[in-house]
Amino acid sequence: MRLGVIRGSVVLSLAVPELQGIRLAIVEPITPERLAQWGGPPGLPSSSLGGGKPIVAADQLGSGQGQVVGFVEGRTAASPFWPGKVPVDAYCALIADGIDYRPPGKITSRKAGS
Amino acid sequence: MFLARIDGTVTSTVKHPTLAGLRLLIGQRLEADGSPSGDPLVLVDTFGARLGATVMVTTDNEPLRNKVGNTTPARMLVAGIVDQVYQEAGR
Repeated sequence: MRLGVIRGSVVLSLAVPELQGIRLAIVEPITPERLAQWGGPPGLPSSSLGGGKPIVAADQLGSGQGQVVGFVEGRTAASPFWPGKVPVDAYCALIADGIDYRPPGKITSRKAGS
Repeated sequence: MFLARIDGTVTSTVKHPTLAGLRLLIGQRLEADGSPSGDPLVLVDTFGARLGATVMVTTDNEPLRNKVGNTTPARMLVAGIVDQVYQEAGR
């Protein structure tokens, strides 16, 4: 599971039946550099997070614009729909409230999404 | 499986129900020379791995499916805490 920021959503006019009714979010993955910077000035919004190549992920949590999520990639992204077979390979598994990120040489701790 | 350094923790209220009560850590995948590689990862931890610890991560979802059910999307699990790594000098 990687971390990402919700940047938007996708609506399909025509879709395979298995995908109908599933909300699709645009997620921008968070790079270690951006996550480390984020802990710097207080009040820095999540707009400065991200940095990776955005992907489309299924979302059943009702994630909102700018929220930080954990998203899984690969075959297990479709597991929540088990035993149904759904062609989903990315899935928002959690909305982060807080992230305490302290890579070597950095000390950061702050609330997510603020 | 790969080695990762624990760089932090994530707290979450709204999440997939199978993740309830699991300890979620931020891990940084490490290359053979110990340098970081790729984006920060959210790992499930049952061992209580500490900040800065080196752990071994499995990406097989079998243990998590057994633990919390077949519908869990999570698969990256701290499979062990690394004590020592023996490696021949790099070529």
